[in-house]
Amino acid sequence: MLKINPPEKWIETGLFMAAVVSAVAIVSILLLLIYFCLPLFSGNGLSRVFSWRWQPIDGQFGILPMCAGSLALSILALGIAFPPAIGICTLVHVLSRGVFARIVLILTHFMTGIPTVIYGFVSVFVLVPRIRSLSEAGTGFSLLTAAITLAILILPTIVLVCYTRLEQLDPVLRLASAAMGFTPIQQMRHVLMPAATKGVAAAAILGLGRAMGDTLISLMLAGNAAQFPGSLFTSFRSLTAHIGLVVATDSQSLAYQSVFAAGLVLFLLVAALNLIIRKTDNRITANAFLRVQETRHEQNF
Amino acid sequence: MEPAVVISNLEVLFFGKAVLKDIHLSLWPGRITVLVGPSGSGKSTLLRAINRLNEFFPDCQTRGSVSLHLQNQYHGDIYQNTIPLSDLRRRVGMVFQTPAVLPFSIEKNITMPLQVTVGLTGSALTERMTRALQEVALWDEVKDRLKSSANTLSGGQQQRLCLARVLALEPQILLLDEPTASLDYKSAARIESLLLNLKERYTILAISHSLSQTRRIADRVCVLRQGQLIQEMDRNDMADIRTFQGLMEAAF
Repeated sequence: MLKINPPEKWIETGLFMAAVVSAVAIVSILLLLIYFCLPLFSGNGLSRVFSWRWQPIDGQFGILPMCAGSLALSILALGIAFPPAIGICTLVHVLSRGVFARIVLILTHFMTGIPTVIYGFVSVFVLVPRIRSLSEAGTGFSLLTAAITLAILILPTIVLVCYTRLEQLDPVLRLASAAMGFTPIQQMRHVLMPAATKGVAAAAILGLGRAMGDTLISLMLAGNAAQFPGSLFTSFRSLTAHIGLVVATDSQSLAYQSVFAAGLVLFLLVAALNLIIRKTDNRITANAFLRVQETRHEQNF
Repeated sequence: MEPAVVISNLEVLFFGKAVLKDIHLSLWPGRITVLVGPSGSGKSTLLRAINRLNEFFPDCQTRGSVSLHLQNQYHGDIYQNTIPLSDLRRRVGMVFQTPAVLPFSIEKNITMPLQVTVGLTGSALTERMTRALQEVALWDEVKDRLKSSANTLSGGQQQRLCLARVLALEPQILLLDEPTASLDYKSAARIESLLLNLKERYTILAISHSLSQTRRIADRVCVLRQGQLIQEMDRNDMADIRTFQGLMEAAF
């Protein structure tokens, strides 16, 4: 009979405890956010928080501009990052599989480790002046600036998830399509990408979630005006930056409480994306998603 | 009649190591040539030398010549870049050991390659698909569910679909890399009888690990060992099972 020796049992118990603690932590965070939001449900707090005006001096604490800002920023960043990500995948998966492909992959891996602040810092000096000269008005701290920088940040995530998924496909698919006379690009376009649709979609959603959760890029580059992002060149504020800014300067008023609403919205958005990934592609675990979020937040604060 | 494929002095190296050397082989239309030999003797490499698929793998070098003589269309050495790679691979169809169905519908498995590589559309496309499915005796089994996923087919049906996909591209030469290895006895027998029907119109080079199958379908058997062709047998050598087995044992 198989006997479990004590150390193994301890490890098992330890792991079980760790799992319980993690689950409890997540649920507690959610409950805590809801608890702190409760005062908003009394009186007309809710309508004041979910409105389009953020003017604390006039008693207006609307976070909707920030919600719109976060959505616009993450969707735009994904839109900018996705095509080159697919291009890079095509390059390393079918066009060049030798030393060059390996170097590209190593660089992509390396990119995931670069602290966000470096991207933001470089962007302030390189991108902001160029965007400023492009637009007729404005400071250059804008939706476009933040989106381009964020696109660079999420690019490696999309590339690596997509590439992993492509590598998991049956190699005979590529061989068979090559044997039918498909060029490498045709193999990618007509066989491999359609075969990996779910993985590609999951990669895109992962990128979107990561863009949505990032704080420092928008804090440094978006200009942080609490207004609706009406054009590419307008200054705006994301939910994450909003939380950071308000918490750093205030701790009492309704403004402070509205931060919890912002946190709750963010939490739910990210949880929804997480759920979609689970539904879309079982092979890419939600763990990868959370891990990415965590590393980013560690770097941010 | 002139041969459809003439291989002379062929040498194939992977990572600088010769996998095939000094191969001389001619293939004629209307005949099935079967390659036999121990694992690692270079059978698949020899097959892939004829559609330049070895280049798909890293660090491969090919020396010598493989000349194709396709009816009224093309003469020449495929390694002198006289025929575009995609044309070559359409003319020289290949079927793999495991059925390589694309993860799409049954219909799309055949029509998509035709659209992409030949540019066929409309009724010509449908006709070509129907004919190919009829050729491999799959039409009656799938005609009512052309839109369902090819993965829902049985292994034998999948392999016939792969054969249909290759035939739809109208090749003149067929390369079959152990096409029945992953199939049960009945499905394998079906593929075998299909091949015997098809051989009139194609030049066929197949790999087989089954000596009884080889005896049933081969007009000619070539034995490969350590990258070299060491023996050839024709139908006469195979007529008597004992003699054939003796020859094979000696060869292995």
